[in-house]
Amino acid sequence: MIVTYMFFGFALLSILGALGLILFKHPMNGAMSFVVTLISLAGMYALLSAKLIFAIQLIVYAGAIMSLILFIIMFLNIQAKDLPDEPGRWFYLGGGIVVISPIAYLLLKMVKSLPAGDTGIIEQDFGGVKEVGQLLFRDWLLPFEIVSILLLVALVGAVVLAGKRGANT
Amino acid sequence: MIEHYLFLSVILFCLGILGVISRRNVFIVFMAIELMLNAANLGFVALARLHVSMDGHVLAMLVMAVAAAEAALALAVVILLHKHKGKLDTNIFSLLRG
Repeated sequence: MIVTYMFFGFALLSILGALGLILFKHPMNGAMSFVVTLISLAGMYALLSAKLIFAIQLIVYAGAIMSLILFIIMFLNIQAKDLPDEPGRWFYLGGGIVVISPIAYLLLKMVKSLPAGDTGIIEQDFGGVKEVGQLLFRDWLLPFEIVSILLLVALVGAVVLAGKRGANT
Repeated sequence: MIEHYLFLSVILFCLGILGVISRRNVFIVFMAIELMLNAANLGFVALARLHVSMDGHVLAMLVMAVAAAEAALALAVVILLHKHKGKLDTNIFSLLRG
Protein backbone atom coordinates (compact mmCIF):
# COMPACT_ATOMS: atom_id res chain seq x y z
CA MET A 1 0.00 0.00 0.00
CA ILE A 2 2.72 2.45 0.99
CA VAL A 3 4.56 1.51 -2.22
CA THR A 4 1.55 2.70 -4.23
CA TYR A 5 1.42 6.02 -2.38
CA MET A 6 5.16 6.52 -2.86
CA PHE A 7 4.82 5.69 -6.54
CA PHE A 8 2.12 8.30 -7.09
CA GLY A 9 4.08 10.88 -5.10
CA PHE A 10 7.20 10.29 -7.18
CA ALA A 11 5.18 10.21 -10.42
CA LEU A 12 3.58 13.57 -9.63
CA LEU A 13 6.96 15.09 -8.73
CA SER A 14 8.64 13.80 -11.89
CA ILE A 15 5.87 15.03 -14.19
CA LEU A 16 5.88 18.44 -12.49
CA GLY A 17 9.66 18.60 -12.86
CA ALA A 18 9.45 17.75 -16.55
CA LEU A 19 6.72 20.36 -17.08
CA GLY A 20 8.91 22.90 -15.30
CA LEU A 21 11.80 21.97 -17.59
CA ILE A 22 9.84 22.65 -20.76
CA LEU A 23 8.01 25.74 -19.46
CA PHE A 24 10.55 27.79 -17.46
CA LYS A 25 12.20 30.51 -19.48
CA HIS A 26 15.63 30.59 -17.85
CA PRO A 27 17.71 27.39 -18.28
CA MET A 28 18.83 27.59 -14.63
CA ASN A 29 15.24 27.21 -13.39
CA GLY A 30 14.68 24.46 -15.94
CA ALA A 31 17.80 22.59 -14.79
CA MET A 32 16.77 22.80 -11.12
CA SER A 33 13.31 21.42 -11.87
CA PHE A 34 14.89 18.69 -14.02
CA VAL A 35 16.93 17.65 -10.96
CA VAL A 36 13.61 17.05 -9.17
CA THR A 37 12.57 14.74 -12.03
CA LEU A 38 15.86 12.83 -11.86
CA ILE A 39 15.70 12.34 -8.09
CA SER A 40 12.11 11.13 -8.20
CA LEU A 41 13.08 8.73 -11.01
CA ALA A 42 15.77 7.41 -8.66
CA GLY A 43 12.97 6.79 -6.15
CA MET A 44 11.10 4.87 -8.85
CA TYR A 45 14.14 2.66 -9.41
CA ALA A 46 14.28 1.96 -5.68
CA LEU A 47 10.58 0.96 -5.75
CA LEU A 48 11.36 -1.35 -8.68
CA SER A 49 14.09 -2.94 -6.49
CA ALA A 50 16.90 -1.87 -8.82
CA LYS A 51 19.35 -0.95 -6.09
CA LEU A 52 22.41 -0.42 -8.27
CA ILE A 53 20.53 1.68 -10.83
CA PHE A 54 19.08 3.74 -7.98
CA ALA A 55 22.55 4.56 -6.67
CA ILE A 56 23.94 5.23 -10.16
CA GLN A 57 20.99 7.48 -11.03
CA LEU A 58 21.65 9.58 -7.94
CA ILE A 59 25.43 9.70 -8.30
CA VAL A 60 25.92 9.91 -12.06
CA TYR A 61 22.75 11.63 -13.31
CA ALA A 62 21.55 13.87 -10.50
CA GLY A 63 25.09 14.31 -9.25
CA ALA A 64 27.62 14.42 -12.06
CA ILE A 65 25.74 15.21 -15.28
CA MET A 66 23.39 17.79 -13.81
CA SER A 67 26.15 19.55 -11.88
CA LEU A 68 28.15 19.66 -15.13
CA ILE A 69 25.19 21.26 -16.93
CA LEU A 70 24.58 23.72 -14.06
CA PHE A 71 28.29 24.54 -14.00
CA ILE A 72 28.28 25.34 -17.72
CA ILE A 73 25.09 27.43 -17.41
CA MET A 74 26.69 29.46 -14.60
CA PHE A 75 30.02 29.60 -16.46
CA LEU A 76 28.42 31.20 -19.52
CA ASN A 77 26.82 33.78 -17.19
CA ILE A 78 23.52 33.98 -19.04
CA GLN A 79 21.54 37.17 -18.48
CA ALA A 80 17.86 37.59 -19.28
CA LYS A 81 18.74 39.57 -22.42
CA ASP A 82 20.92 36.74 -23.79
CA LEU A 83 18.02 34.31 -23.79
CA PRO A 84 16.39 33.71 -27.17
CA ASP A 85 12.96 35.30 -27.26
CA GLU A 86 10.68 32.50 -28.23
CA PRO A 87 7.62 34.08 -29.80
CA GLY A 88 6.20 30.90 -31.29
CA ARG A 89 6.66 28.86 -28.13
CA TRP A 90 3.00 28.30 -27.26
CA PHE A 91 2.18 27.81 -30.94
CA TYR A 92 4.82 25.09 -31.32
CA LEU A 93 3.77 23.57 -28.01
CA GLY A 94 0.16 23.29 -29.19
CA GLY A 95 1.24 21.86 -32.54
CA GLY A 96 3.55 19.42 -30.78
CA ILE A 97 0.70 18.25 -28.55
CA VAL A 98 -1.46 17.68 -31.64
CA VAL A 99 1.31 15.64 -33.30
CA ILE A 100 2.34 13.71 -30.18
CA SER A 101 -1.05 12.79 -28.75
CA PRO A 102 -1.93 10.04 -31.29
CA ILE A 103 1.50 8.46 -30.80
CA ALA A 104 1.10 8.70 -27.05
CA TYR A 105 -2.38 7.19 -27.31
CA LEU A 106 -1.05 4.23 -29.30
CA LEU A 107 1.84 3.72 -26.86
CA LEU A 108 -0.47 3.89 -23.84
CA LYS A 109 -2.84 1.40 -25.46
CA MET A 110 0.06 -0.95 -26.16
CA VAL A 111 1.32 -0.66 -22.59
CA LYS A 112 -2.16 -1.42 -21.26
CA SER A 113 -2.20 -4.75 -23.09
CA LEU A 114 0.86 -6.03 -21.20
CA PRO A 115 0.30 -8.80 -18.68
CA ALA A 116 -0.07 -7.59 -15.12
CA GLY A 117 2.90 -8.61 -13.01
CA ASP A 118 3.76 -8.63 -9.37
CA THR A 119 5.66 -5.46 -8.43
CA GLY A 120 6.47 -6.12 -4.81
CA ILE A 121 9.96 -5.29 -3.64
CA ILE A 122 12.40 -8.18 -4.09
CA GLU A 123 14.82 -8.14 -1.19
CA GLN A 124 17.39 -10.75 -2.18
CA ASP A 125 19.32 -11.61 -5.35
CA PHE A 126 17.90 -8.94 -7.61
CA GLY A 127 19.38 -5.70 -8.78
CA GLY A 128 22.29 -5.53 -6.38
CA VAL A 129 25.89 -4.81 -7.35
CA LYS A 130 26.90 -8.49 -7.35
CA GLU A 131 24.10 -9.79 -9.58
CA VAL A 132 24.17 -6.94 -12.10
CA GLY A 133 27.97 -6.99 -12.16
CA GLN A 134 28.08 -10.70 -12.94
CA LEU A 135 25.57 -10.21 -15.74
CA LEU A 136 27.46 -7.18 -17.05
CA PHE A 137 30.84 -8.91 -17.19
CA ARG A 138 29.55 -12.23 -18.56
CA ASP A 139 26.73 -11.69 -21.05
CA TRP A 140 27.25 -7.98 -21.78
CA LEU A 141 31.04 -7.85 -21.97
CA LEU A 142 31.28 -6.68 -25.59
CA PRO A 143 28.74 -3.80 -25.21
CA PHE A 144 30.56 -2.79 -22.04
CA GLU A 145 33.89 -2.56 -23.86
CA ILE A 146 32.30 -0.64 -26.74
CA VAL A 147 30.81 1.83 -24.27
CA SER A 148 34.23 2.30 -22.67
CA ILE A 149 35.66 3.16 -26.10
CA LEU A 150 32.74 5.54 -26.66
CA LEU A 151 33.51 7.31 -23.37
CA LEU A 152 37.17 7.61 -24.32
CA VAL A 153 36.28 9.08 -27.73
CA ALA A 154 33.86 11.53 -26.11
CA LEU A 155 36.54 12.59 -23.61
CA VAL A 156 39.12 13.21 -26.35
CA GLY A 157 36.52 14.97 -28.49
CA ALA A 158 35.47 17.29 -25.68
CA VAL A 159 39.08 18.20 -24.95
CA VAL A 160 39.80 18.85 -28.64
CA LEU A 161 36.62 20.94 -29.10
CA ALA A 162 36.72 23.07 -25.98
CA GLY A 163 40.44 23.06 -25.30
CA LYS A 164 42.84 25.94 -25.69
CA ARG A 165 43.29 27.21 -29.23
CA GLY A 166 46.22 28.87 -30.93
CA ALA A 167 49.08 27.30 -29.00
CA ASN A 168 50.36 25.04 -31.76
CA THR A 169 47.69 24.88 -34.42
CA MET B 1 0.92 -1.85 -11.26
CA ILE B 2 3.76 -2.32 -13.76
CA GLU B 3 1.75 -0.53 -16.43
CA HIS B 4 1.72 2.61 -14.27
CA TYR B 5 5.50 2.79 -14.49
CA LEU B 6 5.29 2.39 -18.27
CA PHE B 7 2.53 5.04 -18.43
CA LEU B 8 4.85 7.41 -16.62
CA SER B 9 7.67 6.48 -18.99
CA VAL B 10 5.51 7.27 -22.04
CA ILE B 11 4.33 10.56 -20.51
CA LEU B 12 7.89 11.67 -19.71
CA PHE B 13 9.06 10.71 -23.21
CA CYS B 14 6.28 12.77 -24.80
CA LEU B 15 7.12 15.73 -22.56
CA GLY B 16 10.72 15.44 -23.74
CA ILE B 17 9.64 15.49 -27.39
CA LEU B 18 7.46 18.54 -26.66
CA GLY B 19 10.45 20.27 -25.08
CA VAL B 20 12.59 19.60 -28.15
CA ILE B 21 9.84 20.82 -30.48
CA SER B 22 8.74 23.95 -28.66
CA ARG B 23 11.88 25.47 -27.18
CA ARG B 24 14.77 27.27 -28.86
CA ASN B 25 17.14 27.53 -25.93
CA VAL B 26 20.06 25.15 -26.47
CA PHE B 27 20.25 24.06 -22.83
CA ILE B 28 16.54 23.31 -22.59
CA VAL B 29 16.67 21.25 -25.79
CA PHE B 30 19.65 19.33 -24.44
CA MET B 31 17.95 18.62 -21.11
CA ALA B 32 14.77 17.54 -22.91
CA ILE B 33 16.87 14.95 -24.75
CA GLU B 34 18.21 13.79 -21.39
CA LEU B 35 14.60 13.54 -20.20
CA MET B 36 13.80 11.22 -23.11
CA LEU B 37 16.80 9.03 -22.24
CA ASN B 38 15.57 8.87 -18.65
CA ALA B 39 12.08 7.87 -19.77
CA ALA B 40 13.59 5.04 -21.80
CA ASN B 41 15.60 3.99 -18.75
CA LEU B 42 12.45 3.85 -16.64
CA GLY B 43 10.87 1.60 -19.26
CA PHE B 44 13.91 -0.71 -19.24
CA VAL B 45 13.95 -1.01 -15.46
CA ALA B 46 10.17 -1.51 -15.19
CA LEU B 47 10.24 -4.30 -17.79
CA ALA B 48 13.24 -5.85 -16.05
CA ARG B 49 11.16 -5.98 -12.87
CA LEU B 50 8.21 -7.47 -14.77
CA HIS B 51 10.31 -10.32 -16.16
CA VAL B 52 12.55 -10.64 -13.07
CA SER B 53 15.66 -10.53 -15.24
CA MET B 54 18.40 -7.97 -14.88
CA ASP B 55 19.25 -7.34 -18.53
CA GLY B 56 17.21 -4.14 -18.35
CA HIS B 57 19.43 -2.88 -15.54
CA VAL B 58 22.54 -3.44 -17.64
CA LEU B 59 20.93 -1.65 -20.58
CA ALA B 60 19.97 1.26 -18.32
CA MET B 61 23.59 1.51 -17.19
CA LEU B 62 24.78 1.57 -20.81
CA VAL B 63 22.23 4.31 -21.60
CA MET B 64 23.56 6.33 -18.68
CA ALA B 65 27.10 5.98 -20.01
CA VAL B 66 25.94 7.17 -23.44
CA ALA B 67 24.17 10.10 -21.76
CA ALA B 68 27.35 11.05 -19.90
CA ALA B 69 29.38 10.97 -23.14
CA GLU B 70 26.68 13.01 -24.86
CA ALA B 71 26.68 15.58 -22.04
CA ALA B 72 30.44 16.08 -22.27
CA LEU B 73 30.43 16.49 -26.07
CA ALA B 74 27.27 18.60 -26.30
CA LEU B 75 28.43 21.00 -23.60
CA ALA B 76 31.78 21.40 -25.36
CA VAL B 77 29.95 22.25 -28.58
CA VAL B 78 27.67 24.71 -26.74
CA ILE B 79 30.67 26.48 -25.20
CA LEU B 80 32.33 26.72 -28.62
CA LEU B 81 29.20 28.10 -30.29
CA HIS B 82 28.61 30.56 -27.46
CA LYS B 83 32.18 31.79 -27.89
CA HIS B 84 31.64 32.30 -31.63
CA LYS B 85 28.15 33.75 -31.69
CA GLY B 86 27.39 34.85 -28.13
CA LYS B 87 23.88 33.45 -28.36
CA LEU B 88 22.02 30.40 -27.11
CA ASP B 89 19.37 30.32 -29.83
CA THR B 90 19.21 27.08 -31.82
CA ASN B 91 17.96 28.96 -34.90
CA ILE B 92 21.26 30.85 -35.10
CA PHE B 93 23.31 27.66 -35.16
CA SER B 94 22.55 26.88 -38.80
CA LEU B 95 26.12 26.72 -40.03
CA LEU B 96 25.53 23.76 -42.33
CA ARG B 97 22.75 25.43 -44.30
CA GLY B 98 23.48 25.13 -48.00
